[in-house]
Amino acid sequence: MTSITVLGDEVATASGEWVDGRPLIEPEGLPAAIGWTLKPEGLCRDDQCVPVRDRSVIEVGDKVDVAAAASGLDRPTLVDPDTNTVVVGQPNATRRAALLDRQAPDFTLADLDGVDRSLSDYAGKRRLLVAFSSW
Amino acid sequence: MQDELADDDFQVIAVAIDEATDEVRVLADGITYPVLMDPDHLLTELYAISNVPAVVWIDENGRIARPNANEFGTDMFSEFTGRTREGHFDQIRAWVHQGVVPDDASSEIADLDEDELAARLHFRLAAHLRRAGDEAGAAHHFDAAARLAPLDFTVVRAAMPLRGESPFGEEFFKLLEEYQEAGSPFHGITPVPSAQ
Repeated sequence: MTSITVLGDEVATASGEWVDGRPLIEPEGLPAAIGWTLKPEGLCRDDQCVPVRDRSVIEVGDKVDVAAAASGLDRPTLVDPDTNTVVVGQPNATRRAALLDRQAPDFTLADLDGVDRSLSDYAGKRRLLVAFSSW
Repeated sequence: MQDELADDDFQVIAVAIDEATDEVRVLADGITYPVLMDPDHLLTELYAISNVPAVVWIDENGRIARPNANEFGTDMFSEFTGRTREGHFDQIRAWVHQGVVPDDASSEIADLDEDELAARLHFRLAAHLRRAGDEAGAAHHFDAAARLAPLDFTVVRAAMPLRGESPFGEEFFKLLEEYQEAGSPFHGITPVPSAQ
């Protein structure tokens, strides 16, 4: 068993192993890694479940392929056994909702004082979102 | 702009696609609106941002009223763009006061392709490895990201200071030249010159 780092909405570490280049983790680590739990009805979060077409893609023995689970949730993934890391990108549907349906994706980031702020904190106002950088 | 329109239910939110907090703090000196740090480039994924500055107008209901536009907060580049800061501000005033959006607000922004998406994940991994002290691993994934999205400034230029290169040096001018030769492929609106 080894410790696999998952860079998703947070940085999480999960106990697991690499088998044929696949990141297999203990099912208990899945919620911390991707925010969803594998249940008989599918991948679930709160009262929402996404059915899993082919469970054998995600479930391998008593472990879960964390990258396959993320893919099942329409999230792009990068698997890197060399550094024991799996990167899980934002859901494709969220970005497409922004580009095609003009739904502004909410996000939460820390300000310069370390205080978390969300776009939705300013709901009800017209907002000018400015992306900039020092580079 | 924030001070002028503060009573009109208008809010500026700045997000630095950056992990250099000290440098951002200098840029944010005297600014009264929130300045958020985005070291993992979350916004480049959510909004398909590929260069900065990019501004997005979001209405009171959370709908995008005008998508990613390459608007500058200064007139430093007006000579090249033909666009002034005040030209943008006039359009914001018209939006906030009269609900009027410019014609370019209906522009469609191309989705990220597979390579651009993968480049963002390689960048995130590289930034993570660098913070963890793995310089070689970081370099490997910064390279992979740059190969996948060679003209994306949030991938290539953002990596420069993290790799010990100057974001205003030779590498940058090479990138800028290639970017312009390719027709400046910005994911979003390049505003038309301001009316004189």
